[in-house]
Amino acid sequence: MSRPNLLAITAAALLATASAHAAPPPPAPQPTIALAIHGGAGVIERARMTPEREASYRAGLAAALDAGYAVLERGGSSLDAVAAAVRTMEDDPQFNAGRGAVLNHDGICELDAAIMDGTGPRAGAVAGVHHVKNPIDLARLVMDRSPHVLLAGAGAEEFALAQGVVLVPESYFLTPGRVRELEEEKRAAAAGQEPTAPLPLRPPASAAAPKGIGTVGALALDRAGHLAAATSTGGLTNKLYGRVGDTPIIGAGTYADESCAVSGTGQGEFYIRQVVAYDICAMMHYQHLSLERAVDTMIHQKLKRTGGEGGVIALDGDGNYAMDFNSPGMHRGVRDSRGHREIAMYRDTN
Amino acid sequence: MYAIAIHGGAGAVPRATLSPERERAYRAGLEAALDGGSAVLERGGSSLDAVTAAVRILEDDPLFNAGRGAALTREGAAELDAAIMDGRQQRAGAVASVRHVKNPVELARRVMEKSRHVLLVGPGAEEFALEEGFALMPNLYFRTPERISQLEHEQRGERVSDLVPPGQGTVGAVARDRDGNLAAATSTGGMTNKRPGRVGDSPIIGAGTYAKNGVCAVSATGHGEYFIRAVAAHHVCAAVEYRGLTLELAMRELLNDILRGLGGDGGLIGVDRDGRIVMEFSTEGMYRGARDSSGRSEIAIY
Repeated sequence: MSRPNLLAITAAALLATASAHAAPPPPAPQPTIALAIHGGAGVIERARMTPEREASYRAGLAAALDAGYAVLERGGSSLDAVAAAVRTMEDDPQFNAGRGAVLNHDGICELDAAIMDGTGPRAGAVAGVHHVKNPIDLARLVMDRSPHVLLAGAGAEEFALAQGVVLVPESYFLTPGRVRELEEEKRAAAAGQEPTAPLPLRPPASAAAPKGIGTVGALALDRAGHLAAATSTGGLTNKLYGRVGDTPIIGAGTYADESCAVSGTGQGEFYIRQVVAYDICAMMHYQHLSLERAVDTMIHQKLKRTGGEGGVIALDGDGNYAMDFNSPGMHRGVRDSRGHREIAMYRDTN
Repeated sequence: MYAIAIHGGAGAVPRATLSPERERAYRAGLEAALDGGSAVLERGGSSLDAVTAAVRILEDDPLFNAGRGAALTREGAAELDAAIMDGRQQRAGAVASVRHVKNPVELARRVMEKSRHVLLVGPGAEEFALEEGFALMPNLYFRTPERISQLEHEQRGERVSDLVPPGQGTVGAVARDRDGNLAAATSTGGMTNKRPGRVGDSPIIGAGTYAKNGVCAVSATGHGEYFIRAVAAHHVCAAVEYRGLTLELAMRELLNDILRGLGGDGGLIGVDRDGRIVMEFSTEGMYRGARDSSGRSEIAIY
């Protein structure tokens, strides 16, 4: 493999190996099941990480991976699997989603989430909610129980109440680390990086590392061959009140169809403008690129050209996956019925 | 070579229910928007300015479901969505669920040019508007007697109105300027009787609005939820860019094969890199207009 962080395996290669060694006709093959997750991309480097923190991130990723995979293993749907994995990370305060989400300019958490069922396709999303413990579950309710796809702000919470969702106070989401992060970001902004300044097309070489690492997402392929994608986030630290990033935008941060599913994490504005998640699938469908090539083209060429930083995870209908990023690191994990189970954070594969 | 196309919504617009006076009024509204947009292009202005000008005129016209005269939520308020995209650097700005901004397309443009974000929603978007010096309007400004009675009919389960049917009067514009730059803009009040907070495809980059230089600019109107799931506007441009389809074929495929398969209908306008205008719809009609520097000029409904 040309790039050590690309973890794509082709089904063809595996089948070829299997048939070369196995003489007796194999029993009816179990369809592949697979789950991939991410916990955000950004400045994730060994040098900046304590062993305790690293272990804690790995444990958080492992818990989400196993929660989602367990659903698939007992024959559950890809939709239930991605919801379970994302819910686990929303509840884990070290990720930027649900509890522990980053704070906006006014010091509160504004949460966005989306879920998409590759068959249908159906989708549900919420943006700018302040009081919903698991935004991914509300996104699912929007998909399952409303005629709409995206509900925002107070209207989304009104819908939550009508669906019997118990709201939690804003304080539930706050963690000391995120409060500190906002203060630092505001100091930096006061020192010259105005939060309302237009985003440069190319960030200056000295630009500070983007904050708000930790958007979470999951993709799954179930026994029935159905794909699903889910993403959840608190967005950017110090974002303007009302700002919505790519996460709840179907096609930008979240997308799934019958043969391709993508969840993104990074500088959301770039992801929206380039319709990143859908464009990866379009390159696969229309230019006949492999999943790996399509992801590589998006992350290392298209996104990089505009100065957008971040990563994606992607999964196709055969269970091939790719997890790639143009930032220093990305929290990620994958597990499938071919025996892979790995969790990684840095550019090298662990 | 410059070109501009506009739409004022797609839907069931049976000739029988549209009185001659009404039809004249719609045509005059479309004509005014087309004049406003093409005047910008004619004097060498940018496609971005042209689509802004055309959409602003349609927002101010109470006949169309955008700005004044927008469709009302189930609580009787106007909640407006808009987006604009510059094909040059694929910069974009959008707002959703604003209740007090006279011309949402101008706020969307301001989000693109003066904030580091692409999409702002609700009170946060209005806070930004105030910081940018926009004068806010009372929500009453947007509500017309016709939309109020349309909402009442809808809530009683009747559908009586010769206005553009609920949710299908979205307005939009696409343009190519003399420098070959493409731009698209869309603005809407969404569906009549919608749930507060519902966001449709208009402000979703890639769904209702998309522009990329060298490929195409697209603005959509129709049943927004389906356009979001299909990533409609980007789907069309991807088919043009990656498969070499004509804009016409790409739009027909989306409307007839993909959206119809999902159960959704609507229409699209687009302009390609060479300034060729295409307007397609799967509904009975679409309020639309096109004009270019080679002399094409048309307004049509059916």
